Amino acid sequence: MSAVGTGSLRFSPHRVVVLASHAFLDAVRQRVFQFTTLLAAVLVVGSLGLRELDFGGAELKFVADFGHGALVLFGSVLTIVTTVQLLGGELENRTVLPVLARPVRRSEFICGKFFGAWAVVLVFCAAVTAVLLGALWLGAQALPPPLADAPQVPAAAVPYAGVLVGGALQGVKFGLLVAMVLLVGSYARSNLFAQATGFLVLVICHLQYLARDAWQTGHGWLERFGGGLIGLVFPNFQLFGGEYLTAGTDGAALALGGRVALYGLAYTAVFLALAVWSFRRREI
Amino acid sequence: MAMAANETDPAQRPPAIEIRRLTKDYPLPGGRQRVRAVDDLSLRVHPGQIYGLLGPNGSGKSTTLKALLGLLRPTLGECLLAGVPGSDPAAHRAIGYLPEAPYFPRFLSGRELLRFHAKLAGVPRAGREERIAALLGRVGLAHAADRRVGSYSKGMLQRVGLAQALVADPSILILDEPTAGVDPGGAADIAELILEQKARGRTVLLCSHLLTQIEEICDRVAILHRGRLLAEGALDDLLGRCGRQSLVVEHLPSEELAAFEDWLAERGGRLHAVERPAARLDRYFLETVERAEREGEASR
Repeated sequence: MSAVGTGSLRFSPHRVVVLASHAFLDAVRQRVFQFTTLLAAVLVVGSLGLRELDFGGAELKFVADFGHGALVLFGSVLTIVTTVQLLGGELENRTVLPVLARPVRRSEFICGKFFGAWAVVLVFCAAVTAVLLGALWLGAQALPPPLADAPQVPAAAVPYAGVLVGGALQGVKFGLLVAMVLLVGSYARSNLFAQATGFLVLVICHLQYLARDAWQTGHGWLERFGGGLIGLVFPNFQLFGGEYLTAGTDGAALALGGRVALYGLAYTAVFLALAVWSFRRREI
Repeated sequence: MAMAANETDPAQRPPAIEIRRLTKDYPLPGGRQRVRAVDDLSLRVHPGQIYGLLGPNGSGKSTTLKALLGLLRPTLGECLLAGVPGSDPAAHRAIGYLPEAPYFPRFLSGRELLRFHAKLAGVPRAGREERIAALLGRVGLAHAADRRVGSYSKGMLQRVGLAQALVADPSILILDEPTAGVDPGGAADIAELILEQKARGRTVLLCSHLLTQIEEICDRVAILHRGRLLAEGALDDLLGRCGRQSLVVEHLPSEELAAFEDWLAERGGRLHAVERPAARLDRYFLETVERAEREGEASR
């Protein structure tokens, strides 16, 4: 008989990597990833076609904002759909049964799903950011030469570094969203519920600043208590916004970006731990 | 001497699988009422045995297997795999599991699926690919090893499921309806594979609706009904065929039958029944198909 009595099964990063690779492969072979990435890239490149509007130097700012918007919108959809599919799909299709019948801890399973889904979204962010940088470079090359009496557009006005920082912060934000959707999926009984709740969570996180305002300036205790509760439980996604596109990359802007990234990673760790805890005793 | 006897007699060794007073209740929608899926079930499966869990749909077979694997929490009682609680992932080092109507990720090929499970089970890299290729060949899927699982038929899914259950060479196999959806030839292959595992000293616990197959390969069976254990024991004991043998004879004149009975009585035997031998349709089917295949091969 195989050696069963060789002690308890410790948390294994190797098994997490195996599960994450599996989840990554699962997600990138699905059409939702391919379609979303392609659509976002086409939109970013397509924004170059709006130069008939003749924004001049501001055209590049428009392209950057448009591309960032595509990254945020399609990235959010991809994050929620992919995460629900990776966990909920596995539970619904019962493909999870032979996996959990292996010597695998449930914490490893959830962490594998987390890193697999996050890797998918990071690939998406990298691809769209690369396309956006390419579009900005093309746009800068195609700008008409400024008139003699018009103010010169300095090279620094092309926000390459800001786009990179903005893309990285979106990657962190989507990681946090993966952890939150995993927490929902760890107890959800249907994919529809998990997806609907995932989108609701996304909206709440984008409007979290309103709850914080109510907490700090509200009049009644209920308003203050409710606002405080939502303000503490849900992270503020507005912090990951597109102001980095124009903030430049001076020391202060980078320090702020670093603090926002740490804020996102701290929340991610908390939500991932809650997802592991919730899934630990789930009946399959 | 006693120790030697204990080593050879499986019943004297610690059970490979032990279920102690397992009870499992599911809450009904609303949460106030509960339905009992398994009721005070106790079983012991000894090393090297093939043990059949029988019962109609809804009798609690799959619930029992899931509780054994720690996928469900028992309401009462406990389940042990090689002495370790089934809820402990460490216990899963010893097992291979084939779920009922197995679904596998459609995007993987058969080879990738086995590789994934081999890595999870900790099969060493050296020799891993050879083992996977050998297993795919053994279950008759060598030709479809690199095809996506999503394109597999139901029977092929069962076969690849069996291969994934065997990929880590487990000492305990837990098979939930291993021949469901498989054609008679495939079912016979799977039965042969299960018997091979027994010959290698492996323990097999299986659920099946195919009573003929259970009868052919199982050492012991348990019959469940509405979560309760109705009967349990060795097949020979349950079917009352201990010490009995059947002879199939041709052209024995009826007047000779009495003489044959006397001959048996002189030797301490007794003629239990005289009846027409039952022709087995599954055997007839297999023989006919095999004959057609042989003739097809010969005519090519």
